Amino acid sequence: MPEFVSNNISTINFILINIALGLSIYITLATGLLSLSNAGFMAIGAYTVAIISTQSNIPFSVGLVMAIALGVALALPIGMLVLGLRDIYLAIATLGFGEIVRIIALNGDKVVHLFSQNKELIIFNGAEGITLTYKTPTVILGLPDTTWPILIYVMVIIYILATLHNSRFGRILASIRQDETAASTLGVNVVHYKLLAFVLGSAIAAGAGALSAPIVRVIDPHNYVFSRGVDILAYAVLGGMTHWVGPILGATVLTSLPEALRFLKDQRDIVNGLIIMLSIIYLPAGLADPRIWGLFKRLVSFPKREQVS
Amino acid sequence: MKARFFSFPTVLMLLFVCFAAIDVSSASAASASSLSGEIPIGAVWSMTGAAAVYGSSQKNASELAVDEINKSGMLGAGKIKLITEDDRSTKEGAITAFDKLIKEYKVVAILGPTLSNSAKAADPIAQAAKVPVLAVSNTAGGIVEMGDFIFRDSLSEMLVQPNTIRETKNKLGYKKVAILYGNDDVFTKGGYDAFKKALNDQGIQILATETFNKNDSDFSAQLTKIKGLKPDAIIVSALAEEAAGIMSQGRQLGIPDSVPFIGGNGFNSPKLAQLAGPAAEGAITGAAWLISNDTPGNKAFVEAYHKKFGANPDQFAAQAYTGVYILANAIKTAGSSNPTAIRDAMAKIKDMDTVLGKFSFDAHREPVHSPVVQIIKNGKFVLYK
Repeated sequence: MPEFVSNNISTINFILINIALGLSIYITLATGLLSLSNAGFMAIGAYTVAIISTQSNIPFSVGLVMAIALGVALALPIGMLVLGLRDIYLAIATLGFGEIVRIIALNGDKVVHLFSQNKELIIFNGAEGITLTYKTPTVILGLPDTTWPILIYVMVIIYILATLHNSRFGRILASIRQDETAASTLGVNVVHYKLLAFVLGSAIAAGAGALSAPIVRVIDPHNYVFSRGVDILAYAVLGGMTHWVGPILGATVLTSLPEALRFLKDQRDIVNGLIIMLSIIYLPAGLADPRIWGLFKRLVSFPKREQVS
Repeated sequence: MKARFFSFPTVLMLLFVCFAAIDVSSASAASASSLSGEIPIGAVWSMTGAAAVYGSSQKNASELAVDEINKSGMLGAGKIKLITEDDRSTKEGAITAFDKLIKEYKVVAILGPTLSNSAKAADPIAQAAKVPVLAVSNTAGGIVEMGDFIFRDSLSEMLVQPNTIRETKNKLGYKKVAILYGNDDVFTKGGYDAFKKALNDQGIQILATETFNKNDSDFSAQLTKIKGLKPDAIIVSALAEEAAGIMSQGRQLGIPDSVPFIGGNGFNSPKLAQLAGPAAEGAITGAAWLISNDTPGNKAFVEAYHKKFGANPDQFAAQAYTGVYILANAIKTAGSSNPTAIRDAMAKIKDMDTVLGKFSFDAHREPVHSPVVQIIKNGKFVLYK
């Protein structure tokens, strides 16, 4: 493993997980839905894998599939219920869902005791959460075996999104975002596509949560509080919501910046906040703003400018 | 054209210039660390986020202790270089900070992290790299069990609470109590578990167990129910903010002063008396350290801390301060800055004089020193007699 990678492997892991989360909210945002349930679905994924690996011998890969399946199974009915709402009302409803998931995780054992004969059974372990045993990762082809699944997962999502972007499906989602009424008069089944985008986003978030479990190892309800949902939203907002490159850039910058700025010590948060504020002011369309690419091309085409920097 | 000056590329360029300047200064500091005699020790505190209140005292106290040790020449030609990292009160932050300290700074030992669940997430990294970790505020279960390189100088709730119950029961002679605790926080939930066990072991009847959540501000429903049951004492496992609300509302609802509030580690904050005012009078809590302790060096520590930071130290500061001295002592005994040698020397520490009192590690790397019981009198913590 190259030294830079091995020194920063946990930051790289978190960047990849956050990219997946950023992409999960991107799909709903690209459809014009402000849904904040991603932290809740992330919790569902993480708890599914954590419970499966502590209570049974089912391998992680099966657990991952089960986590995504559970995410889909829950997203369908919830989507049908809340997608009649728009804008801020949808945001509040989905936020409520995230809180419900967190409270259930907190009191999960009480629910279990309602149905189980064994009143001492501890599965969710309340505020202390589930701690997974630590295994020293083995290095395969230059990356630890805990990083590979996340990398592959992110690649698959990017491939799907890149394919969708210019497809009929992608254009339908964009048309719903730009004008829902116009889209429906053109014959687009708006409800159908909104639900599809919501389920897809939720499934990706559940998968990301499942993949984060072996990395974070301590799965407690505090991981999935309101601020987690806001963080996920920030990846897409900072990166840009019009192209799938946006959340990738946003998640990478927002996750790596605090680490890269560690040398600033006490001033770290000030500089971190300043950079984010300036990017929002000067790049309201996000880091994936086409203007940036134009600027980049201009810089490259003037060799003199390169010497200055 | 004027607006052009503040265009994005210009600002970006300016930022880069700033970074380059800062980078040069940090690079020169880094090259100095390769000089012999500097012993890099990492510290991971929650300096931002939910646990920042505790992290900032820990940071202050650890820096104070390192300054004192380096000035006194305790380690001969060696000087401790403390590298402090913030974990933002998150597990992710603690994991990346541990990675950075171990792999990049090659620290010989790590103090922290502030929160127990962050410790559970990050400590195995140090255990795998064979770098000793000394926790100074983790009180939950399952910390030292993570491996033979994990130590703590913070008494677990399971050690402090039975002592509090025993001492108060002997003096007050209560037989039936009610419990009120925060069930969504590891700290307060852990305190509840310890209280429940101690009460059961000592044959005290629990009339009712009521819960609340962090940031709740209305406890009247729980307190009214408790008042109706007429307990002899009320056990509260809460952080300072909620504890203050419980006490004020309890007294307002007419729970008589003869029914004391007995609390866990969350009570150990000067904030409690400030927030609850007269309602906090007579509140009893178990602690690892008391500001008026007559333990060796305690008076000097409190004075030096007050002089440097303009505030009185709390228990978290005292435990972090002790942590640095324990590590320095282990490095001195080991006579080397090899992490495994430090670990072995630390495991052998017996009856060391610290501000917490005579300090030893038991066979499981758990701290051994006597906890104290304190009571709030005239808005201040004093020893409970």
